[in-house]
Amino acid sequence: MIDVIANMLSMCIPFSVALLLASIGEMFNQRAGIFNLGCEGIMAMGAFLGMLVPFLAGHGGQTSQVYNLLGFLAAGAAGIVLGIIFGVVTINFRAPQGIAGIGLQMFGVGTAGTLFRHFVGGTQSIPGIPDVDIPLLSKIPFIGDVFFSHNLAAYLAYLFIPVSMYILFKTPWGLRVRAVGTNPRAADSMGINVTRTRFESLMIGGCLAGLAGAYLSIAQAKMFSDTLISGRGFIAVALVYFGHWHPLQIMGGALLFTFAQTFQTQIQSFGISFPYELAVMLPYILVIVVLSFTSRNQTTAPTALGKPFNREIRT
Amino acid sequence: MKKLLTLALAILLSFSLFAGGSGEAASSSSDSDTVKIALIIENTIDDKGWCQSMHDGITQAMEQLPGKIEYNYSEKMLPVDAGSIARQYVAEGYDLIIAHGAQYKNMILEIAEEYPDVSFAFGTSSEIGPENVFTYMPESEETGYLNGILAGSLTKSNIVGLVGPVDSGDAARYNRGFVLGVQSVNPDAKILVAHTGSFSDYVKSSELATLQLGNGADVVTGSSQQAIGALRATAESPTALWVGQDLAQLTTAEGQAKCVAASSYNYGAVVIELVEKLENGIKGGECIPMNFNNGGFIFEYNPALESVVTPEIKAKVDEALNGFIASSDGLADWADVDYSTL
Repeated sequence: MIDVIANMLSMCIPFSVALLLASIGEMFNQRAGIFNLGCEGIMAMGAFLGMLVPFLAGHGGQTSQVYNLLGFLAAGAAGIVLGIIFGVVTINFRAPQGIAGIGLQMFGVGTAGTLFRHFVGGTQSIPGIPDVDIPLLSKIPFIGDVFFSHNLAAYLAYLFIPVSMYILFKTPWGLRVRAVGTNPRAADSMGINVTRTRFESLMIGGCLAGLAGAYLSIAQAKMFSDTLISGRGFIAVALVYFGHWHPLQIMGGALLFTFAQTFQTQIQSFGISFPYELAVMLPYILVIVVLSFTSRNQTTAPTALGKPFNREIRT
Repeated sequence: MKKLLTLALAILLSFSLFAGGSGEAASSSSDSDTVKIALIIENTIDDKGWCQSMHDGITQAMEQLPGKIEYNYSEKMLPVDAGSIARQYVAEGYDLIIAHGAQYKNMILEIAEEYPDVSFAFGTSSEIGPENVFTYMPESEETGYLNGILAGSLTKSNIVGLVGPVDSGDAARYNRGFVLGVQSVNPDAKILVAHTGSFSDYVKSSELATLQLGNGADVVTGSSQQAIGALRATAESPTALWVGQDLAQLTTAEGQAKCVAASSYNYGAVVIELVEKLENGIKGGECIPMNFNNGGFIFEYNPALESVVTPEIKAKVDEALNGFIASSDGLADWADVDYSTL
């Protein structure tokens, strides 16, 4: 029984990384007052480019880990570009953010699939990043399996939590982000460039969403297909609300969601008499229930979220 | 400047909206002897699973009936989008429109009523449709049973894993046949059955297989196109093996390394039968079953892993296979399998 529990818990860290990265990125967007439903599309582009670099370098076979790193960098860069495009549409043109996000989602998923077909062909896998047993620590019973036998990218991703907390709450730039997301007019009157700050947030958000997609294709599934993301971008957006725009709580949400996923899988695998359709829905029901109970406490919500800023118009 | 940027973005977004693939695989000059077939699929023609098997079947039928078939296909068609493309094919004079998946049932039945002179087909379904609608039903409990014999014989931990998409259609038949196959040779084996709830979520099937391997499974199988994700996860294990539901899996690097054997749907036989029926004036109203007896399935071992299959195991598989080939009765009790008792 202990082995089964350890096995289940050991999945939580590596399987939560993509959601975690995308959610932290989306948190930066929303803290600056912009919600980006196109996260799914950026993740798809990141997943495609992340896989493409090592695939082309290794001609579909084994290749150096350097190319996996380059894959991550390409995915992050693509995310930045898509973040800028989204910024042009929503900040400069002041298009409705929800509609623009859906457009970006379709653009990203469609373009990734089309380019994948052109450069790769059918569903293909890559060697990807292997799991690493951390010396000594991985040998500790139970704890070793749960915490110290994962791929390097998973550990690096979790470092984004303290880093993003520091950036958001301890740096002048983080203060500017929170200011433009809460009261852009007041921030503007204090000399903060709202447009630039929002663009910078979108670039960081896009970069992290791209890295999240690349994590799925390089480190987790180690393959790409048109349907690889399968709604995880939207879950990431929901997790930002779930985590009250705070990195630690978002991490808790990502881990809880992943735990619910592995838990429902265990329920099924061990033949516990429970309809599998309900088991599959369990993580999503959990998110809705928690959102319902916590939505009354929105004191941390960026009050200017979703509202375009026009410094020429007084409201 | 803003107008130019708006225009550029609109073009980019339009491009992505129409990114779904469509292609003319092959065609001959259109005349009265040619049967024009259109295929509508939710994934792609090279997904190494469900959609590829029908595409391969049609191209195989074209090779066997040279000049007889004109073929076109549309990929990534969600049921809500498929209706318009099906009507387009009707307008272009296609004789048979195959919507490959039970999810297209309502769309096909609706359009078939509008165009009684055109023939339609969808599957998997054992329903008898209107006079211009064919259905096809792979009795895939047979292929599952063969793979189950292999898995039950090859497991050393006495735990085998099964990654299913949803518990319906041919996937449900394959999975239950697999359980019966394992139990026929190894009644004490623990069979871990779980479903992802999706036909195409490769990540989830990979996660599910990883979890089952962590629970001790050393032989894993899976059905539908999402199974490729589970096969990829199985390849990460140094000792685990895979038994596949699609021969295309044997062409992948991980399939070569891990897939002991695979079975496949031979849609070529179905397509040829459909063409013959159309030529004889039958436009639908029939269900075409697929089984080993009528050549609807193919079963092959992986030559690279032949050494792991002992003559005793092979004899058991061959005995079952020959039984299926000899009789169309198949496995009568597949529907009785209850996962909660495993």
